[in-house]
Amino acid sequence: MLVIQKTKIKEILDTLAKEYKVIVPAKDGDTSKFIPYGDNTEMLLEENVQLPPKDVFFPQTEKMYKFKSKKNTMEIENLPIEGGKQLIFGIRSCDMKSLDCLDQVFLTKGTDEFYKEKRDKTALIALSCTKPKETCFCTSMGLDPQKAVGADVQAYDLGDKIGFEAITEQGKKIIASIEGQLSEESVVVPKFGEFKINVDVEGVPEKLKGMFESPMWDDISRKCLNCGACTYVCPTCHCFDISQEVRGEDGVKYRCWDSCMFGEYTQMAGGHNPRPTKKERVRNRFMHKLNYFVERYNMLLCTGCGRCINVCPVNMDITAIIKQVKEAE
Amino acid sequence: MEKLTQEIRKTAKEILEKGQANVVIGWEKGSAWYISTPVFIDKAEDVERLVWDEYCVNNLAKYLLDYKTVEGKVAIFVKGCDARGVNRLIQDKQVDREKVLIVGLSCPGMKDEKKAKELGKNAEIPLVKKCQECRYPEPIIFDIFLGEKGKKEPAKGKDFSDIKAIEKMSSDEKYDFFSENYDRCLRCYACRNVCPACSCRECIFDQSKSGWLGKANNASNNMFFGITRALHVAGRCIECGECERVCPVNIPIMLLNKKIIQDIDTLFGDYDAGLDPEGKLPLGGFEYSDPEEFM
Repeated sequence: MLVIQKTKIKEILDTLAKEYKVIVPAKDGDTSKFIPYGDNTEMLLEENVQLPPKDVFFPQTEKMYKFKSKKNTMEIENLPIEGGKQLIFGIRSCDMKSLDCLDQVFLTKGTDEFYKEKRDKTALIALSCTKPKETCFCTSMGLDPQKAVGADVQAYDLGDKIGFEAITEQGKKIIASIEGQLSEESVVVPKFGEFKINVDVEGVPEKLKGMFESPMWDDISRKCLNCGACTYVCPTCHCFDISQEVRGEDGVKYRCWDSCMFGEYTQMAGGHNPRPTKKERVRNRFMHKLNYFVERYNMLLCTGCGRCINVCPVNMDITAIIKQVKEAE
Repeated sequence: MEKLTQEIRKTAKEILEKGQANVVIGWEKGSAWYISTPVFIDKAEDVERLVWDEYCVNNLAKYLLDYKTVEGKVAIFVKGCDARGVNRLIQDKQVDREKVLIVGLSCPGMKDEKKAKELGKNAEIPLVKKCQECRYPEPIIFDIFLGEKGKKEPAKGKDFSDIKAIEKMSSDEKYDFFSENYDRCLRCYACRNVCPACSCRECIFDQSKSGWLGKANNASNNMFFGITRALHVAGRCIECGECERVCPVNIPIMLLNKKIIQDIDTLFGDYDAGLDPEGKLPLGGFEYSDPEEFM
């Protein structure tokens, strides 16, 4: 396998940065996320970052178009597309799978141009995991933490080295551009550590179909605060709201993340709210992840990254809920 | 604490069996050893779920709002900060004192679950920040008290060292400091939703049509949110630190609250919110002796 010393990884990124805007997992204040690579970037390669990479493709706030409204006319102006080719280095299996989920929503039944534009110009170098975090459970969701779906290049964490394996044609080109800096070595990919969380999701989507009216939802939703932390740190949650800012004749339409945990999310113009309490909101979140999405796209809308478990102020744990569904009569 | 857990279960059982309350709010073991989480017990046979250990960090007071329009009494277990939270809601006329059966517990200080997750079971786990600074570990309001008092030495005086450090910064440094922090804000509203001083039926931040706060996530909107919320809970913040604990991106939210507490102490005399449910709020009225430097 082609490898490089971990201490020299910046040399590779510098080479790649000549052709791509390189995005890497890094520390950001008291949290960590994917940010553009620069000289002072404090990269984080030991573990996955706390915020998912979804905002690279689907920013929390994204301008859609400008408009000018005069008396009886309206002019619409498209916004210029910013930036060229980009590359994410160090994206983990769980987050790669989340792109597969987002692709289903934004690319298969109709095309979301905003998402597609960014997705098409982004190359992906996935990085294998060696040790699961306390809240990781990707294998329970059917993923391989050392082999990501959809990556152009799979990189392997080999301790003090990183190994590279091209997967796609684009991946081969990427490797060709950095080949001079890599050396060929025979390596053994370290075995993956023990997971603290193991959960069996087999049969859960089918069983949930008949559990819409289950009293279980009353019970599990009681402690929920209906904040949006879980949905905003989720790599797969993709709901958005369209809003506008208007100053005189000029306006901008933009979209921004929304959360099914918020009461306003389903608030109707006439005042009716079909999901009036936390019970309906919590139920929707788990039904969407574990049933509706499976029925629509034949895959779970959870990749086992564990971020929601990590941030929930009241320990609303999706794996515990999966177990509860399994055990329900 | 295990002995007290048994007592808690026994008391909860009695409360439910005697019909003194329809529901008991306490803590149960969560999905890891370093997590205890809120639980609601309606049936006497479920009291075994209740626990009392050094991870019962959640302030339970906020949940009383869920029972505002529900018939019957609610029993709630309280530490020092939960008790001040209950007082907060009574003083704000959100909760009827007659409707709540308060069971007090002396708080030994709760351990930091984030540190526990990092350090592992065998390490010495420090107390969570809010507990290190806590001056009221004993519940100041209760109907029943379980166990012994004095489990933790209360902190002496308010610690404003972090506020003093920020006050020393230049205006530009302050602006940069707060911009950097609030730039991270996801606007998930966990801080608001967990706060016992946030009890508006309809929050200003949810009225997007009003135009007060745009839905767009940017430093300007996020800081408007942070500052407005801090000012709205001014004089009412009970310093339970839940806002800061629950923030998924670790924004030091309590800094703004503490700055306002310091200012209130300076301008209107020392005040601790949530101690006296009948008392006057420092910012809730006018006295002729109030400072009027700006007039």
